[in-house]
Amino acid sequence: MFRNITIGQYVPGDSVVHKLDPRIKIIITFIFIIAIFFINKLSGYLFAVFYLWLIIAISKIPFSYILKGLRPVIVILLLTVSLNIFFTPGGTILYTVGPLRITTGGLRLALFMGLRLIFLIIGTSLLTLTTSPISLTDGIEHILKPFSSIGVPAHELAMMMTIALRFIPTLIEEAEKIMKAQMARGADFESGNIVKRAKGLVPLLVPLFISAFRRADELAIAMESRCYKGGQNRTRMKQLKTQPRDYAALAVTLIIVMLIVWNRSWTW
Amino acid sequence: MEHIIITQHLSFEYNTEEQTRQLVLKDINLRFEKGQFIGIIGHNGSGKSTLAKQFNALLLPTDGKVYVKGMDTKDTSHLWDIRQTAGLVFQNPDNQIVAAIVEEDVAFGPENLGIPPDEIRERVEYALKAVGMWEYKDYPPHMLSGGQKQRVAIAGIIAMKPECIILDEPTAMLDPIGRKEVISTIKKLNKEEGITVILITHFMEEVVEADRVIVMDDGKVVLDGTPKEVFKEVGLLKNIGLSVPQVTELAYQLKNEGFDIPSDILTVKEMVDFICR
Ligand SMILES: Nc1ncnc2c1ncn2[C@@H]1O[C@H](COP(=O)(O)OP(=O)(O)O)[C@@H](O)[C@H]1O
Ligand SMILES: [Mg+2]
Repeated sequence: MFRNITIGQYVPGDSVVHKLDPRIKIIITFIFIIAIFFINKLSGYLFAVFYLWLIIAISKIPFSYILKGLRPVIVILLLTVSLNIFFTPGGTILYTVGPLRITTGGLRLALFMGLRLIFLIIGTSLLTLTTSPISLTDGIEHILKPFSSIGVPAHELAMMMTIALRFIPTLIEEAEKIMKAQMARGADFESGNIVKRAKGLVPLLVPLFISAFRRADELAIAMESRCYKGGQNRTRMKQLKTQPRDYAALAVTLIIVMLIVWNRSWTW
Repeated sequence: MEHIIITQHLSFEYNTEEQTRQLVLKDINLRFEKGQFIGIIGHNGSGKSTLAKQFNALLLPTDGKVYVKGMDTKDTSHLWDIRQTAGLVFQNPDNQIVAAIVEEDVAFGPENLGIPPDEIRERVEYALKAVGMWEYKDYPPHMLSGGQKQRVAIAGIIAMKPECIILDEPTAMLDPIGRKEVISTIKKLNKEEGITVILITHFMEEVVEADRVIVMDDGKVVLDGTPKEVFKEVGLLKNIGLSVPQVTELAYQLKNEGFDIPSDILTVKEMVDFICR
């Protein structure tokens, strides 16, 4: 049941994209997402397509993985598109079904919203597909660190993410063990309707939570005995250093952004 | 002789409700010599873990004093020095590994101490090599066996360059192979790196080669001496619910049956030597 749960969706590799500084990758992803919303005509998406194609080609991420990232949001995608089709006024009326009208304006907006969502999801998937959760955590900590003086809990957030990453596999293992133990005593986790199944999970979740709290207790004591006193005066073994390739990636992204902005003044 | 840890009239009770409150440690006076390998044994609830936490200032005496390298554990200005000097390894390796990658976990302690990055790298390499886990530095902990995880936990303490390591039943959750790995690692650290080791354990065989064995019962030290002196007291040990090493038990039974055999035989080798003499 838990076998197919992986943390994040990281696909290990040693391409340039994989090796980029996680800070740069996070920043680039943000820039790209913002740029997507600047596109105001279909031809603008050519640049976005080219950019994503370039990353996919260099990172050698199989396209099927990227499509997989789209699957969970298909419902949202369809909903957004249909809402936009039916409820956007403006343009010429193409078709009328009862009170609903399909207009050219609606179609156009639906198409743009759909494309935006798809590009947004592919862009962020590429970040998590090519960056291990651990370096993602490092990147987030380093990006947020300058803001800790204004109260952003950068270190605490990173520590929470690290501990979560460390303990998720342990807890999954434990859940499997408890489940097997309960099944050996006749518990049934697989049949019945949703309510029955949810009820069946109680004997799994109760011991799991009790154990998780005990672990948290012991971990806190162990951390304290290893001189943990929060983020102050703490150093890090792993230092992030930007390489020429990071600046190159940033430059390519900025060129694409400029092309997208320039595209706004095109006539087609 | 220099002492790394000294307890003077150490008594302790947990801050629980008034009516259930009772002394868990009772007037404990111990001096641990630097560089020694010390075993502490005692049945469940005899106060071993509570004592271990006193050595690391995780718990403070209700009465009496604990000194770590001359520093009073009640003096909060030395708290981090004390914890760095006397490192504590716990029973469950899963619940003391913090980071999702072996080398990053070993770096956790030195990072907390604010050591510069380059030196942390050196220490991590040294510590992982000392416990024989260097090849696994990039592994996630959940891919390791129990014995390997416990060695990583030990490396995490070694990397803080402690003078003394206290291990609270580090082998209790391990299979025999993992147990052997961990014990030989601890012995090596004691012999080759000169680190004082205080090993709390349930397995008598693990302390027969110790320099000193302390037996606890009901919050008190009931026996304290060399393994030979301690394990000779088979009757007393059995009375407080402890076993003795199997060979010692055999010698004890033989003696009871009227054989002329010394009662301080601790290892199979000694037994063989005695019988074939
Ligand atoms: N956190 C706690 N609060 C209250 N009592 C405790 C706590 N931890 C341990 N004790 C009690 O202290 C006694 C000694 O426990 P402990 O030091 O864990 O013994 P050992 O490690 O030898 O098994 C036991 O009677 C136990 O119930
Ligand atoms: Mg204990």
